[in-house]
Amino acid sequence: MTDVAEGFTTGVGNSRPDAGTRGHVPGDSSMWFFVIGDLLIFGVYFVVYMYFRGQNHELFLSSQARLNLDIGAINTVMLLTSSLFVALGTAAARAGNSADALRRFWTALAFGAAFPLLKMFEWIPEISAGLTPGTNLFFMYYYMMTGLHLCHVLLGLIIMCFVIRNLKTSHPPKISFVETGATYWHMVDVLWLVLFALFYLMR
Amino acid sequence: MTSLIRNPLTIVWALLTTVTLASWLIARDGGASHQINTTLTIVVLSIAAIKAQLVIWHFMEVRRAPMWLKATTSGWVIALFALLFGFYFAGI
Repeated sequence: MTDVAEGFTTGVGNSRPDAGTRGHVPGDSSMWFFVIGDLLIFGVYFVVYMYFRGQNHELFLSSQARLNLDIGAINTVMLLTSSLFVALGTAAARAGNSADALRRFWTALAFGAAFPLLKMFEWIPEISAGLTPGTNLFFMYYYMMTGLHLCHVLLGLIIMCFVIRNLKTSHPPKISFVETGATYWHMVDVLWLVLFALFYLMR
Repeated sequence: MTSLIRNPLTIVWALLTTVTLASWLIARDGGASHQINTTLTIVVLSIAAIKAQLVIWHFMEVRRAPMWLKATTSGWVIALFALLFGFYFAGI
């Protein structure tokens, strides 16, 4: 519990050169409880999806064939690249280099914003082709889970805007806030990696 | 610029992107027939598990976090993929 308490109290205001040391909880510990809760909830969805997939392989396989694998893969690279720049930006902020941090967070925001845009290019032709949540069980899960994930992406992009504002206006920036935003964004990335494998890749 | 390329985080990203592209090609070519393919599924789900762990460990900085956080997040990855593999093989 000492570690948890430490997470609540550290980095409330200033840059923290010792943040790279062992035993450090990045950002606010309350965000970590949210992240772990979200991972568990999505984890249940993933397992339930796999169970129902096992009940009707033909339906799930033939429905998977109608998805756009290419956009799914490009979006995965977009989120991974966005996550990289968030991690690099966090390191720069921690080192006291706000200008570099700001540049990297803007880059992360650009790659992150590409995700919902590409999603629209994916969903609109699918919906136009009559593939909706009512089509079958696969598409119900597909729209429900990727839609829920998209809400997380949009919230993550808003949080990133607040991180950018913090980097621009606070001198020195609140490192704990930067780390908290980064933690959330990386969780969005982790969830997508599993969704990509379950909906687009596996057979 | 050179320091960015040599940054360990960039190396992790390069690895993540490479295995993503590999998964993409595997699913596009090997999975084109859209039939049950256990080998392909084992490969792509294992890659997904490794990718999730890499992001948690390096980008989320859990590798430097206290033991309770390492155990919880790694436990999530292990338990999730064990259940996913279990239900996959139980269903075929």
